[in-house]
Amino acid sequence: MRTLGIKLIIAAVLVSTGLWAATEPEGFWTGPVNDPVPTTLKGGKVIHTEDLAALLEKKKDQVVLVDVSDAPRRPDNLPATATWLPVPHPAIAGAIWIPGAGLGAPPASVDEFFRQRLATATGNDLARPLVLYCHDKCWLSWNGAKRAIQYGYRNVYWFPEGIEGWRKAKLPTEVVQPEPTP
Amino acid sequence: MGLSKSGVLAAVLITGALLGGFHPAFADDEDEKDRAARWKQLQESIFPHREVLDSGGIITVDAPPRALDAALVPVELQMPSGKPVKGVYLIIDDNPAPMAAHFVFGPKADPRDLKFRVRVNAYTNIHAIAETADGQLHAASRFVKAAGGCSAPAGSDEAAAMADMGRMKLRLLGNFNAGKPMQAQLMIRHPNFNGMQMNQITRFYTPARFIRTIDATYDGGQVFHLDADISLSTDPVITFGFVPHGKGQMKVVAQDSSNATFDHSFDVPGTPPG
Repeated sequence: MRTLGIKLIIAAVLVSTGLWAATEPEGFWTGPVNDPVPTTLKGGKVIHTEDLAALLEKKKDQVVLVDVSDAPRRPDNLPATATWLPVPHPAIAGAIWIPGAGLGAPPASVDEFFRQRLATATGNDLARPLVLYCHDKCWLSWNGAKRAIQYGYRNVYWFPEGIEGWRKAKLPTEVVQPEPTP
Repeated sequence: MGLSKSGVLAAVLITGALLGGFHPAFADDEDEKDRAARWKQLQESIFPHREVLDSGGIITVDAPPRALDAALVPVELQMPSGKPVKGVYLIIDDNPAPMAAHFVFGPKADPRDLKFRVRVNAYTNIHAIAETADGQLHAASRFVKAAGGCSAPAGSDEAAAMADMGRMKLRLLGNFNAGKPMQAQLMIRHPNFNGMQMNQITRFYTPARFIRTIDATYDGGQVFHLDADISLSTDPVITFGFVPHGKGQMKVVAQDSSNATFDHSFDVPGTPPG
């Protein structure tokens, strides 16, 4: 019991200071979305803010940037008079926003939508560089990148710092609308 | 054993205290400008052609600066001035449906202190706006750090939540004295699904089903009427004040978005003070 307590304290301190990272799960992550993420992605590359800015600078026309953050969903039964005003969604300039693509276990229709949307964006070229991101310490982008790798893309980058890291570095953003994920 | 227990507790506390920090805040000028613009947009949308004054001592709002659970953020509104208040609004600026609650007080209310729990989707300002009897709007605000409250999964067992839906409890806080204001805590079992929660088994979003109105009356006189929607937390708990003239009945009627009505009457006094 005593050692368990001490272990938990150590884990808590490491989590809180950002020194603790998760290990890669075998499949997709189906736990809480906002949780410590791994530092690696099997079959893909992890890219950090400066390198991503440089990559975009160099291969702007090649890179396909995908934001897989959640989007607010207006309930059908919200009264017509209710105020529905989602805040504008800032994305890395040039990104497309595909909510749902990073779910641990998405419905088949969402999976198919994501596959099709990537095919269109890359012109059916599996060698095109793909960058997936969402928020800082958010598993959606890890899942989304893993899914893209499973589709057969060979140059998949995962950007774990997400929009928060990008904005912190004062790099360009633009407001985007979500793609119509089913 | 003592050490290990406190060790576990410490670990839980440390972890909890930092869980809200996953989306770092940007307290820079750019963000301040965005927040001010957002509030202006909301004022124009919710209170068109009306002036929103500063709090002027009429209202204060309290909430933890860093919420442990974004789906259960406790807020407390206080209106201590004694100036007659018609009602109060709680607006969570960055939630997609920002108007979280609108209370209208009746003749049996003691509106000085009100507590309830809400979902918060982002680092955001919250605004509490008191509407005085003479029609003025007074706003108090607070910045809250919480993220992900709207898509956080509801309780693990959806079926159990549905089976319990509509059960109510009323707890009287403090001593009953006829004619003297007292506080009561109302608890309603209701999942208050907001339509953004994914069921991990079916892999589909659980359809929204939420409490739209709650009416509390004491011996036929209105205490409060509440209009709410998806920002109210699962299993709403509302602590409010009222003035019992004598022994009587508190009647609570809640209606949800599927037009189900839940009602319950409580004897006052009758529930032992908590």
